[in-house]
Amino acid sequence: VKLGGAVGIGDPSPFGNAALASANPRQVPWIHWMIVPTVLVLLLVVGYPIAQTFILSTQDYNLADVTPPRYVGLKNYGDLFSDRVFWQSLKNTLIYSFGSVAIAAALGLIVALLTENTWGSRALGTLLVLPWAVPGVVVGFLFRYMYLANGGIVNAVVLSLGIISEPVPWLNSSSISLAAVMVCCIWALTPFFYLLLSAALSGIPNEVIESARVDRTGTAAMIYHIKLPYLRNHLLIGSLLMVIGCFNDFGPIWAMTQGGPGYATSTLVVYVYRLAFEQFNFGYASATGVVWLVLLLGFTIAYMPILRKE
Amino acid sequence: MATASRLGARANLKEASMSLLNRKGLQFLAVAFACQVASFGLCSLASAQEQITLHFANTGLAEETTREGIQKVVADFEAANPGIKIQMEAISFSDIGRQMVLRVRSGNPPDIAELDGNDTIMVALTGGLAPLDNLIPPDLMKNIKPGDFAGLRIDGKFIAIPWNTATAGLWYNKKILAAAGLDPNKPPRTIQDLMVALKAVKDTQPDVIPLGIDTTNRPFSLTSNWPWMKTFGAIPFGENATGANSPEMKAYLSWMRELAEKHYIDPGRKIGEFRPPAAQGKVAFMWDPVLLQGVIQSVNGMTNQQFYDTWGVVPMPVGPSGKSYSYESGQQLAIFAVSKHKDAAMKFVDYLISSPTVIGDYTIKLLSSMPTLKETGDPKLDAELDTPIFNAFAHDISPTLTPQPYGPKFAGAATAIMAGVQQAVTGDEPIDEIAASIQEQLNRL
Repeated sequence: VKLGGAVGIGDPSPFGNAALASANPRQVPWIHWMIVPTVLVLLLVVGYPIAQTFILSTQDYNLADVTPPRYVGLKNYGDLFSDRVFWQSLKNTLIYSFGSVAIAAALGLIVALLTENTWGSRALGTLLVLPWAVPGVVVGFLFRYMYLANGGIVNAVVLSLGIISEPVPWLNSSSISLAAVMVCCIWALTPFFYLLLSAALSGIPNEVIESARVDRTGTAAMIYHIKLPYLRNHLLIGSLLMVIGCFNDFGPIWAMTQGGPGYATSTLVVYVYRLAFEQFNFGYASATGVVWLVLLLGFTIAYMPILRKE
Repeated sequence: MATASRLGARANLKEASMSLLNRKGLQFLAVAFACQVASFGLCSLASAQEQITLHFANTGLAEETTREGIQKVVADFEAANPGIKIQMEAISFSDIGRQMVLRVRSGNPPDIAELDGNDTIMVALTGGLAPLDNLIPPDLMKNIKPGDFAGLRIDGKFIAIPWNTATAGLWYNKKILAAAGLDPNKPPRTIQDLMVALKAVKDTQPDVIPLGIDTTNRPFSLTSNWPWMKTFGAIPFGENATGANSPEMKAYLSWMRELAEKHYIDPGRKIGEFRPPAAQGKVAFMWDPVLLQGVIQSVNGMTNQQFYDTWGVVPMPVGPSGKSYSYESGQQLAIFAVSKHKDAAMKFVDYLISSPTVIGDYTIKLLSSMPTLKETGDPKLDAELDTPIFNAFAHDISPTLTPQPYGPKFAGAATAIMAGVQQAVTGDEPIDEIAASIQEQLNRL
């Protein structure tokens, strides 16, 4: 193997795979074997829990019961289909994840465009990124107390502005609590999109912007035809990551509503938590977890072709 | 030259003597070190033979108001029992039951844990608790109020021993009642009386929360609301259940909706979140255990007399069933089956329950709860327990205690029922549909 010599800037690996292959193709496979330790570690820390969850999902297994787990086949999955709370939680998860990410991405984009090349944008950026750095549980508790019907600052402000005549139970109304919880998520996610898109905007070649200006391109056209295409991949990757993050968002929701009132803000992760760690029904909780995993995998796989599309 | 040679010889001599000294010193040091190591080893061995370490999982250490108190209790016990060391583990009230179940199942429970309510039964159902029948000293057994052991037997064996009692009653703020034009010495005795009083409070003092009641979705909330359901004649599940889709349960849910619609309650708050406003005189009625007095006094610094002038407590107002009910939220102590030092653990448990110092300084003062003993054996403690509040609990409220359907299905039932209660108090879905939905979920358990 020839190392250290024929590695070019454009080579995909530091060893220069093309050079390696042409020098001695028979010796290339041993490099692939070098990933075996990583694969083994992944199998242990990721694969084993997933496999174990699949196994548990086919069992009637309650941790608070001294009787041993009993194999029930696909019964837990069958029960899920008739479980009203599961469907409500799934619906809430989809609204919460996609809704929050879509709004946060739009807001992040607007703020990034507004602050682009403005004086003090760096200081503003530092300030704007703070919400993203605050732990989710802390954000949840902050919003919980801000939303209180009696003594919460949100009601105090809105009441003093005369927008409402009596306090609104933001987190205790079945019709608005999911939206109120989403506001908290959007508040935390917007800085991420702002940071991501600000960086992407600064990466647009000056020549392209200058050419557009020479052609007297208007602001709207500049954004739509020039800047957005450059931001597309950043938006897609950021959205994918954040949707996955929101699917798994437990801390803020639990701190604010614990999935209530009723099941108005119950998401899959909250439902799984209740099943597993309040009722200790590990079999059924695992079946719910498997469906949740499959959904996320399906979403990610469906997303990939969009990302690869030029 | 001669001088130089003499000087050189002297220097050599000095060097030699220094070297000898160093060698002797080193030898001495080595011997001393060896002795030290040996004696340390022997001491450690002796200490290891005599010293027992008990792991005590409790919520007292996790709460700011009780942390120093429980540390002092343990320090006093260790001083009186040099052979026993208590290693405390701080776990929050909401988490301790869950953690104990998980730790039993993973094989590393502590020796002793402070538990309460459904948590005690859940942990016992894992088979992880030691039966206490042969461990409880006969004197202690005889001195515990018989009612306090209610619900603490599984398969005929005691699974835990009551540490203190904290029964819930209807607290009322006399000053708020007076300001509402009500007689502060005539608190409501029926649900109808209560509704009249709540209206009067709301009409005259809009910034006051008329009734503090826990409507969160957690097992404790079902425990807290169970007596209200029962006074409407509703037993949604468990023994002699009327079911959730019953007229009694619908009457209870309709009443809860009325409370919310008229803004008599503040839905979604944990009961603990009503206590600070109660201390500021902003809650008229509280459905809370005996410990409320301690919390209020620790927040606003009221003296006992000021507290008795402001607050009173009575049994729950009577509903359509014609009966008043209450729940118990006192703590119990359990010893784990895998503990290698069960006798030492029981010695510590006995100390926590019956030591006059613990009762006076911790149970009464900090927990504001009542001891489980029939006789404290200490006139000073008896005097401390002879207060209008403790007397009301002991004579009027404790007899209204009703058993709860604790067991493996309680947590699941709590989720279903309290979700329904929340739907009733925060939405406009018909009560019939909510009741049917609760029943459907209970059927799945």
